[in-house]
Amino acid sequence: MKFADVRSKRSTGDRPDTHPAEGLAASIRGLTVSLERDGARSEVLRGVDLDVGRGEIVGLVGESGSGKSVLALSMMGLLPQASRPRTHGSIEIAGVDVLNSAPSELRDLRRHELGVIFQDPMTSLNPTMRVGTQISEVSHDRETSLQLMTSVGIPDPELRFRVFPHELSGGLRQRVMTAIAVAGRPSLIIADEPTTALDVTVQAQVLELLADLRDTFGCSVVLITHDLAVAAQIADRIAVLYAGRVAELGPVAEMLRRPTHPYTVGLLSSRLSLETPRNLPLTTLKPETATPAERMLGCAYHSRCPLADEKCSREQPPLAPVALGADATLLHERSCWRSVAQVQALAHSRAPVDTVLRSESRQLSEAGESVRLDDVHVRFVLKSGARHREEVHALRGVDLTVGAGESLSIVGESGSGKSTLLRVVAGLIPPTSGAVHVGNKGAQMVFQDAGSSLTPWLTVGELLRERLRPLRLGSAEVQRRLDLALTTIGLPAGIANARPSELSGGQKQRVALARATVIPPSVLLCDEPTSALDASLAASVLNLIRELRSAFAMTVIFVTHDLSVARLMGDQIAVMTQGQIVEMGPATDVIERPEHPYTRSLLASVPTIEVTTS
Amino acid sequence: MTVAKIPASRMRVLAFTSRTPSGSRASMAVASLLLLVTIVAVLGRVLSPYDPVQPVGMLNLPPGSPDHLLGTDSIGRDLLSRTLWGIQISWFTSLVVVASGLVIGGAIGVTAGVCGGWIDNLLMRFTDLFLALPGALVAIAIVAALGPGLKNTLIGIMIVWWPYYARIIRAEVKSLASRPHVEAARLAGVGRGRLVLRHIVPGAVPTALVTASLDIGNVILLLAGLSFLGLGQSAPAPELGADTARSLQLLLTQWWIPITPGIAVLLMSLIANLGGDAVRQLLNSKR
Repeated sequence: MKFADVRSKRSTGDRPDTHPAEGLAASIRGLTVSLERDGARSEVLRGVDLDVGRGEIVGLVGESGSGKSVLALSMMGLLPQASRPRTHGSIEIAGVDVLNSAPSELRDLRRHELGVIFQDPMTSLNPTMRVGTQISEVSHDRETSLQLMTSVGIPDPELRFRVFPHELSGGLRQRVMTAIAVAGRPSLIIADEPTTALDVTVQAQVLELLADLRDTFGCSVVLITHDLAVAAQIADRIAVLYAGRVAELGPVAEMLRRPTHPYTVGLLSSRLSLETPRNLPLTTLKPETATPAERMLGCAYHSRCPLADEKCSREQPPLAPVALGADATLLHERSCWRSVAQVQALAHSRAPVDTVLRSESRQLSEAGESVRLDDVHVRFVLKSGARHREEVHALRGVDLTVGAGESLSIVGESGSGKSTLLRVVAGLIPPTSGAVHVGNKGAQMVFQDAGSSLTPWLTVGELLRERLRPLRLGSAEVQRRLDLALTTIGLPAGIANARPSELSGGQKQRVALARATVIPPSVLLCDEPTSALDASLAASVLNLIRELRSAFAMTVIFVTHDLSVARLMGDQIAVMTQGQIVEMGPATDVIERPEHPYTRSLLASVPTIEVTTS
Repeated sequence: MTVAKIPASRMRVLAFTSRTPSGSRASMAVASLLLLVTIVAVLGRVLSPYDPVQPVGMLNLPPGSPDHLLGTDSIGRDLLSRTLWGIQISWFTSLVVVASGLVIGGAIGVTAGVCGGWIDNLLMRFTDLFLALPGALVAIAIVAALGPGLKNTLIGIMIVWWPYYARIIRAEVKSLASRPHVEAARLAGVGRGRLVLRHIVPGAVPTALVTASLDIGNVILLLAGLSFLGLGQSAPAPELGADTARSLQLLLTQWWIPITPGIAVLLMSLIANLGGDAVRQLLNSKR
């Protein structure tokens, strides 16, 4: 069968036929799962229908809280007993009824038919066992294990057979996980965010590996991810999950070219890529305004949907086939009341679904430089002793000048020294040698995990007031500044009495930003502030940082591992590897004409959605 | 899923042990026993019907006698009054010991954890010195040197009781100090003293409280043990451990005389332990 005339990056090749009707690896019908959290029961999955064909790769895409991980756990029969799951519907994998089987049957199913790859291989591998032993537990003999290690692309399998997980890099650990997953020759591999914790270059390799495994072993893969582009790399079909229901389900190419659900359209347009316009505010989805009860009543997406009408808030749309052109041999389904034409008009309008206006007047108040680093070196001593002295040379001679009001993005993979550089500028780490100058209003920083950067037992108001204390303002003035800071950041003033645990992920990052800018600093340092957020939320935080920058004429140094974000946030991009800046220049130049081979390899690994119309 | 196969009886057990509201209600009830004992201890003198030191009735009356609910001892003193007075003394002394442990150990632990470096080393080696010696024996030695009596027993135990707290609080402070929110607060311009008091110490309070509430039972037992050995209150005053020791030879004839104070000790330390456990569960489920 010619699968489709359009493909994402990876070509179809001559892989086995993947029509779902020709035997199913897994079949889920009307699956409803409710779990108990803090004493309250909530429906996490609400009637999911999904088939996985033999040899098929199905991408399961959804934001956090969409229920994608619970779906994976249900398929493995591993729902957490502590949250007392209640289930309806059916899951059938390799002829086994997963929901109503005895634990021993489920164990057999997991042993013989299922392979699992988790997000974080460090925590899912046993740290006290040698890698080879762990693989052999499933494959039963050394020879097969070595073969498996070779087939998942682990170089020097003989050597690696005897090491412990902590001695391997993140990418190799994920390969070991993969080797264990395929060791039992499973008919179905469930991969839950297998690439999220990995650097982009490694991410691309792991995805390639998954596709190769399907080609070699003929197993099916359920690839769970929050990133549509990751799924688009290798999946045959994509299921978009929203609030515990399948919003849209169809062949990859069809979905990307002709999305038929407003949420898919929103996901596609809020995704940041190397083509996103730099001078416009980023497209974001409308924030959720409906209460959970209201969401249960109608279409779960209605309060965020630009097309929603009254029917959408009252009746739940069923998952129904979409009539498409004759080339659609695989079923394309969606759950939406609005017509396909309306949704596609939305997609083609390319109009921002909801935009935050940004003042274009970027005042470069005073010329001059706001950050200067001269030949900065940082060494960390891991072990000090007379004989053994282990050091990490985190920064190896960094020279850097950032002008006042300029923005600089620093890109690099984990361990490149980019976070260390930021901490040196912030004054949190003293440089081992070299000089650091920061503008007279100092530096403030927002962290990757905003939640853990806020003191859990203090309220938002107390946290913000602390920054104002040295100014010795009167209490009325403090209150005014506090309200102003919260309004600027787009939070209601009432939030000042909330503690961090009562805030959502996006709100936490906003509070962190409010704290950093309640007295505008010379430099705002951002350490991957959006990498833990869902795409649409991330876009709104990025918009906010841009707005704050122009409002306060601040210098921004933005550290990220994502080149498309770096391009959007920086006038300049600096590429770091192994503690050195290897390339630096205007953002467009670095992206379009990369000079250093490392920059080129980074660029090549960025997952992209390439839709070529035939 | 497989939950359907678990028999209903086992589900109830699961419900009881998990941290659901019903579980936390149970914890709350157990934790309030601590309060109940404290109330009994506070009102001990008021509640006791007789003077605990003076003979007030017939000798060796068994429990359940009309005027003496728990009976009288071999010289006619009312056992209920003696037990209530005894409960008051041991409950409050153990609270004082635990509180002193928290304060002394807390101060040393926070200082060591926050300062690090040679101060940390110095303070912790000093703590280790105390931990290396068996606490009860050192306490006995101190009491023996100072002379028996409630005040000296208290001093003896307080001297050996803090190192444990110092260790635990230092470890907690160290881990809190390395958390990102401390770095963020430092960057926000929070001064050193404020950083410690507002951003680090409150985080160590739950752990310290749990440790302390679980510890009350130990102190009660140690106190009773010391006075059983004759290192507590001097002769006529009511003291649970001493009362048990002095009348131990009556165990086979007038069993209630040594058993009554013994049971009071048992109940108090049991309640202290269960209550401490409940406090821990309540604090954990809140986090």
